[in-house]
Amino acid sequence: MRNFWKAAAILAALGLSACATAHPDTGGSAANDPYAATNRKIFDFDLKMDGWTLKPTSAAYNRYVPEGIREAAHNVLTNFDLPVTFANDVLQAEPRRAGQTVSRFVVNSTLGVAGLFDVASDFGIPAHTEDFGQTLAVWGVGEGPYLVLPLLGPYPPRDAVGAVVDFLFDPMLYIRMKQHPWWVLGHRYIKLIDVRARNIETLDDIERSSMDYYATTRSLYRQYRAGEIGNGETAPPAP
Amino acid sequence: MRDFSIGQFLIAATRPLRMFFVVLVVASGLAGVSAPAVAASPAEQFISDNVQRGLTILTNTALSKDQRRTQFQGFLLGLTDIKAISEYTLGQYRRGATPAQLSAYDDAFKDYALAVYQSYFNKFSGQTLNVTGSYPLASDESVVKTVMIDPKKTSANPLQVDFRVANVGGRMAVVDFSVSGVWLRETEKSDFTSFLGQNGGDIGVLTASLKKKTALYK
Repeated sequence: MRNFWKAAAILAALGLSACATAHPDTGGSAANDPYAATNRKIFDFDLKMDGWTLKPTSAAYNRYVPEGIREAAHNVLTNFDLPVTFANDVLQAEPRRAGQTVSRFVVNSTLGVAGLFDVASDFGIPAHTEDFGQTLAVWGVGEGPYLVLPLLGPYPPRDAVGAVVDFLFDPMLYIRMKQHPWWVLGHRYIKLIDVRARNIETLDDIERSSMDYYATTRSLYRQYRAGEIGNGETAPPAP
Repeated sequence: MRDFSIGQFLIAATRPLRMFFVVLVVASGLAGVSAPAVAASPAEQFISDNVQRGLTILTNTALSKDQRRTQFQGFLLGLTDIKAISEYTLGQYRRGATPAQLSAYDDAFKDYALAVYQSYFNKFSGQTLNVTGSYPLASDESVVKTVMIDPKKTSANPLQVDFRVANVGGRMAVVDFSVSGVWLRETEKSDFTSFLGQNGGDIGVLTASLKKKTALYK
């Protein structure tokens, strides 16, 4: 655990110092991709691994698991993430959104039968996600240089640090049975399959229309993150 | 002894719980007061009138697949300023191109964009567009915010699709659109300029690639 903290601190120091002043993430700004050559190699490796493992597993999941069960699984996974969303709503001083998150968690955990059913959406309680990477952005921390990590995909330093913090401070991790490694690994794997299965067609379309799929995903990632950080209120990049 | 039914007992016993849920819903800001109706801006009216028309073309089963494609392409050409989008996506590489290269690129981009944009709009067919507002970007440009409602899936978060509308030579045209915050023109510019950077800035290579990609949609 000590080494883990040390690694996280080094990552934080490297990444966050690369961008000492905050800047808005517009997606249309300069590439800020000084490690592009390495990133591309890792991206190609990740694509190959995805093609061999995650994509066929996700396609089989879509084909053989009934939609109702897939939706229920997605709802449960989303419900598990709400404590992290709530914590970051509070850290970002967003009381209204924090209230919505609590409402969704309570309603879906009770009336939604342990999160299986998204009753909160039927009640009109809006859904959103927050993470510590977004919180760091709201606090003025820059994204840092674009990075692609093996098997993890795009994780610029700010988002990488954010992901580590979210993982370590996820209250779900500290419920006694959920400390078991099989639970942690199983939860992460099923979450990965869920996300990949829901995006198979979209990513195929994007790859089909791209001249440079790496550059396209870099732009998509940055714009999407900017939208998340701005809570959906981000203006288009300046020409 | 007073007659007291099980139903009355349950209603009384669960009152605190029901009140709790009502408070939660109210606290989450949903029991808000509706804003008074405001007249739509010209850009909002433009999007509202036209985009739904395009979605209707895609679901018109009275037309053959080729007829739908032809009609939808006519619709897209009327809705958007493809030439402006084409110029934008070349970025800094436009300056070094010859008129012949630019003309060939503009033609290839038009065919590519029509094919790709139709495939994107196909994903919204059967859905309803609701304009939710707009804001100005410049004196002759604004962003119109909409949501796509899928009647098959009730959701508190319908898909947000925004349109960048500009005044081009006296007519309104869409010069970009975004889905969930990702702007298509911007993504294409990143894609194409990176591709050109990897290929010595040769617009002819990009033009040839666009033609190959367009063929994948036929």
